[in-house]
Order: sequence, then C-alpha cells, then structure tokens
Amino acid sequence: MLSCLNLSKKYGKILFNELNINLEKGEILAIIGPSGCGKTTLLRCICGLEELDSGKILLNGDDITKIPAEERGIGLLFQKPVLYPHLTVSGNLSLASFNNHDKVLVEVGLPNFEDRDVDTLSGGEGQRVALARALLANPNVLLLDEPFSALDLDMSIKLISDVRALLKDRSCPAILVTHNIEEAKLFSDRMIDLSKV
Amino acid sequence: MNNTQKFFSILAVFIYSAITIIPIVFAIDRLILVSGFNPILWIQSLDQNYVSQNSIAFTFVQAFFSTILTVLIGFPVAWVLGRHSWPFKAFLRSILTLPFVIPAIIAAMGFLTITGPYGLDVRTDESTWWWTLIFSHAWFNIALIIRFCEPVLSTLNPNFEEQLLLLPNGVTFFSRLKNLWIPILTPSIAAASCMTFVFSFTSFALVKWITVRDKTLESTMAEVSSSAGIQGYMEPSSDIVLGASLIQFLVLLASLWLMSFLQQRRQTKWQQASELFVQNKNAKGWFVLAPAIFFVQLPIISVILGSFRVRDVSENSNSFKWSTEGWSEAFQGSYSFPPLSEALFNSLIYSFGTLIIALPLGYILASTIHQLEENNFNLSRILEIYTMLPFALSAAMIGLGIMLGIIKLNPSAAYDFRFLPVLAHVMITVPFVVRIILPALRSFDLSYDENAKVLGMSNFSRFFKIKLPLMKGSILVATVFTLAMSLGEFGASFIVARNSEWITLPLLIDSLRGKPMKDPLTVPSSNAVATVLMLITMILFLIVEKFRNTKDRGMF
Repeated sequence: MLSCLNLSKKYGKILFNELNINLEKGEILAIIGPSGCGKTTLLRCICGLEELDSGKILLNGDDITKIPAEERGIGLLFQKPVLYPHLTVSGNLSLASFNNHDKVLVEVGLPNFEDRDVDTLSGGEGQRVALARALLANPNVLLLDEPFSALDLDMSIKLISDVRALLKDRSCPAILVTHNIEEAKLFSDRMIDLSKV
Repeated sequence: MNNTQKFFSILAVFIYSAITIIPIVFAIDRLILVSGFNPILWIQSLDQNYVSQNSIAFTFVQAFFSTILTVLIGFPVAWVLGRHSWPFKAFLRSILTLPFVIPAIIAAMGFLTITGPYGLDVRTDESTWWWTLIFSHAWFNIALIIRFCEPVLSTLNPNFEEQLLLLPNGVTFFSRLKNLWIPILTPSIAAASCMTFVFSFTSFALVKWITVRDKTLESTMAEVSSSAGIQGYMEPSSDIVLGASLIQFLVLLASLWLMSFLQQRRQTKWQQASELFVQNKNAKGWFVLAPAIFFVQLPIISVILGSFRVRDVSENSNSFKWSTEGWSEAFQGSYSFPPLSEALFNSLIYSFGTLIIALPLGYILASTIHQLEENNFNLSRILEIYTMLPFALSAAMIGLGIMLGIIKLNPSAAYDFRFLPVLAHVMITVPFVVRIILPALRSFDLSYDENAKVLGMSNFSRFFKIKLPLMKGSILVATVFTLAMSLGEFGASFIVARNSEWITLPLLIDSLRGKPMKDPLTVPSSNAVATVLMLITMILFLIVEKFRNTKDRGMF
C-alpha cells in the first residue's frame, strides 16, 4: 500500500536517515519518539508538504515522491484542528465533499452539527469535525499528527477508540505520530520508535 | 469611577465639545442664515455655479479610480512582503509605508517636480494630468493596503493553506483563492480601499496642485471659503459650502460605518503564527519590491534633488545647474514671504500647542470611554461615537467650521487670535489620540492596577508609577502622531490662517510654489522648505515605528 524507502531528512541535525516504513491496507501504525526527533517532519514529507533530502515514497506501487501534496491523495490531521473560521461545520466539510455531511457527522459522534460556527466547538468537537472532513476526502492514507495530545484524558481515550473504529471500518491505513506510548498502544496495530531507528 | 475621575471626565467632554462641536454648530447656523434651510438647493447649487460645476462627478470618479489603482499597486507589494522573508524587513516595510505619513503638500511637490514644467512636463497635458493625479493618490495611499493586508498575510497560520492543499476542494490555485485567500483578505482589502476612497475623496493639496481644470468638493470649499457665511456678499458661496459639506459628511459617515463593519469582519479568529513559520525565501519577489521601492522613493528624492536644481536663466535656455540658491531664498525670505525659520517656528509652536491640548484631552476621553464600558456600556458607545465625529469632517470642513464659528463669537479673533490654527489641529488630532490610546487601555492587564491598590498606592501614584510606564509606547505613538499630523496639516490651516504672520511650513511651501514660474527659484525654494518638513516627519515616523506594538501594525 504505502512504502517509504530510505527516507532521509536533516534540519541542522539528522532527523531520520535511511528510514524504511511499510504500511498495508487497513493497517494502523504509530510512530513514537520524544519531542524534536522529527516525527512531524516525517509526516509532512510523506504527505508532500516538505521535500525529502533523499528516499522514495511509493503508493500502491507508484512513485509519488515528486508529486505535489495536493495531488497525492494523502490526508493529514494536524495537532490543533485546522477549521476555517469563516465557514460553518458544513462549510468546512464542503472543502472535502459536498455530500454525506449528515452521515459522516453521525459517524464521528456529532449529529446535527452542520450549521454550527466552528468557534463554538470544544477542542474534542473541533478535532472530530477535522476527522470527518478528512474521512469525507476519502484519502488513500490518513496521517495523524498528535491530534489527541491537546485533549483531556477521558476525551482522548474516547476519541482514540472512536477514530480507530472508523478507520478500521473503512480499511483506511493510517500513521499516528505521538510522544505518548499509552496513546500509541491504544490506537495502533504496531509501533516504531523514531529515536531508535 | 471616583469623584476626581468624574470631574476630569466631565471637564474633558465639555472642553472637547467647546473646541470641536460648538464651532461647527455655529458655522452651520451662520451658513444657513445666509442660504436658508434647503439641502436639495444646496446640492443643486454645486452644478449651477461656474466655480463648482462638475465637482461632484469629478470627486467621485477620481476617488474611485484612485482606489482601484492603489489596490492594484499595493496588493502585490503586501503579498510579497507578507508571504516571504526579506533582509532588513522592518526597514523595507518602513520605506514602503512612508508615503502615508508624508504631508500631502510634499507629495504634491514631489509629483510636480517629476511631471511639471522643467520635469517630464506632462502635468499640463489634458490627456496625462488625470493619470498624474490618480498615480499621486495611489502613491499616497499605497501604505494603507500594505498596513492592512501585510500583517494578515505574514501571520496567518500556514496550516490553513497546508490543510487545504490536502483536501479535494483545495487542489487548484483558484479553489484555494476561493476558499482561503478571498475570505481572509477581502475584509482587509475592503477596509483599506474604503479609507483610500475617503482620503482621495477629500484630497486637497494634491488636487490643488496637480489638476489643471477640475476641482474636488474639498478644493472647491477651500476656494470659496473666504466669501462663505457673509450676508449680502457672494451668497452662492454659502450654498456651495453647505452642499459640498453635506455630500462629504454623508460619504464620510457611510465610509465610517462601512469601516466599522469591516473591522468587525477582520476580527474573525484566524489562528496566527510567528512570521518565522509563515515566510519563506523567494528571490523573484524583488521583481515586485524593487519597482515599488522606486515608485515610493522617487517623489521623495525628487523633492530633495529639486531643491538644489536651479534653472540657469543667464543662458536663456532650459539648462540647469546644481546650486543652494533655493535654500538661501527659503532661509532669507523676501518681501512677500517669511523666512523658513519663521514658518518652522510657527509650525513647532502650533504642533506643540496642539499636543499640550490634544494628548491629555484624548487620553481622558479614552479613559472615560474605557471606564464606562464596565459600568454603562451604552453611554460608552455614545461617547466613543461622539469622539469619532471629526472623522466624518474633512480638513476644509473643519477649517471652515472653526473660522465661521469664531467669527460668530468674536469676528476680530479670526485675524487676531494667533492660536486659531491650534483649535483646528486639536479637532483633527483628538479622534486619532482616542483611537490609539483606547485599545491600549483595553488591553491593559487590570491585575497590575489591582495589585497596586492592595499595596496601598493612591490613584495619583498608581497612574504615574504603574499605568503611565506600562502604556508609554502607546502614549509616545499618540504624541508623535499628533506632532506629525499638526506639522503637516494643510487643508484646515489654509482656511484658518488668515494672518500672514501665522504661516506654517505647508502654507509656506504652497505660497512659494505659487510664485511665477519665470522665477528660477520658485521650484527649488518650495522644495527646500518641503525637504525640511519631510525630514522632520520622517524622523517622527521612525520614532513611531520603533515604539509601535507589533499587534498594532494594522492600525495607523
């Protein structure tokens, strides 16, 4: 499904060198490591927001290394949900698709939220809307950049279990980066410690 | 609010009313006494009188085209400056936004030196003077577009654009334009366009010196000001002033309302990020910045060079020599004109006089509004709008108001009361002081004051030891802004300064440039005075930039 071959990147110091990752259909991978070890940069390179120093990324066997981010079909959930304040919840979802807003909002546990202003949402609700939008875009792979870290414990445990179930239902492969091992264990099928590879 | 604060608040409102509102009411009363109360007739009189024919259409059309050109030139500069990192960015931003603080009379001298006789000589050409005016308005207002748009672009969290790139409706450039850039930039561009329209609509110095034939409502008012409000003498002048004032008041009021509406839209909570994360290097941006810097600096440099470029009359040709004769003429003065030192002295006296009144008055009014916001919100809104009323009056309207108002109270004061220009300058600057101080008071952390109270400090010592030091940045910006505005004020002073002994630097520039062009020192001497005024303004501007709060970059 997704193959990352010999990925290298440095920003002053080496963040990752000759890194290999394989992700199968429906598999959920967690990448852990301390702050500043390059987890976020790795995700940004995979989805095309940053360029690699060297290495190749293959999606379903096609080399997508030089393809711009907007054409890769890889989704990303940022640490803080990026919701556009001039649009309602439904308006934000429309950026991914104009259909099935009610259905996806039920899936993420926010029924009847279509007309809400995004600045009235709590942190957890905002992250669920961002997830709904990412799922509506039907990505080949979903990348999650510590999306649960800003939430309180109860909320994050609930959201982790809900998101995992949703991804498994859709057989959508995903990569979560986090510094929290417990979170990684709860969410993923397997883990890679970036500071040790 | 304790009794002392109440006393100062009521006193400030009373003084503000006496200085600003009462003269205007007296002036309107006097004009209506001459013309009668018939607003439709006032407006019709504008097209019926030769002196003001076509002024309504011309004012609207030139303001519209000036606004369009300002956006077309200013927006690419704001985009490149905001989206990319540049060496010495603060300096680049300062020189690109300099025109806004340069007095309009200097801008007029700069453009005249370039496009007037013995320059490119295109100003008097029927087909080109129009564009000279439109470009000079664009030059003057380009800073507004940069000041309003650049902070939005340079601090917008890059995740917004990155997230859109990864969504189906953000894949193309046009979809990102539609879903991100237009929603986020429209309020800023519209607000800046609105202000540009207002400044072009009420433009006086540039219109006076650059247009060949047509006049704006503002310049028409200034032209007929000496005969307005006098019974039995050129009574149509009063109709013209009332008609032009009414149209200007309505347009300015509508613009103020629109600005306030757009400012609220601008406050939509877009997450911000440090410029370091937003901006990247892009050498191609110099293709926008370099011509913009050239465009902005050319009139300024022309004024300085023009002060040394003297036409050589001895050879009876159009050859020029570099000389300091223009400066000598400006410093020595003549039978018709006072020396530069006298005008500089008057300007400094008037600007410091304005500061002494406008700063404490504006501070107390802002403080009163702020305190009322906690206890009586409706009253605070009324007072805030009341202090903004002079914004809805143009400089010529203020000048006429002061003059006619003072004539009603004491006719001889219009020629004897040396500090009459100070009243006009106070009226113009107080609303700006309030607008600078009020946000600073609102963002002042109350716990500092509460902690000082617990420590037993009196009102007096809390004000001088806590509040004043913490707010010194905003107070300094208000101080410098007041001084700069008063020094460069031309429209109101042109009407109010009836006595030749009251001449200020902008009025001296205007008078010197009005000498016959056959005198080889007409252009250099006026440019010499303009250079002095420009250097003072630039120094004040650099001080403001040093103390300006980064959060206030979208303000004045």
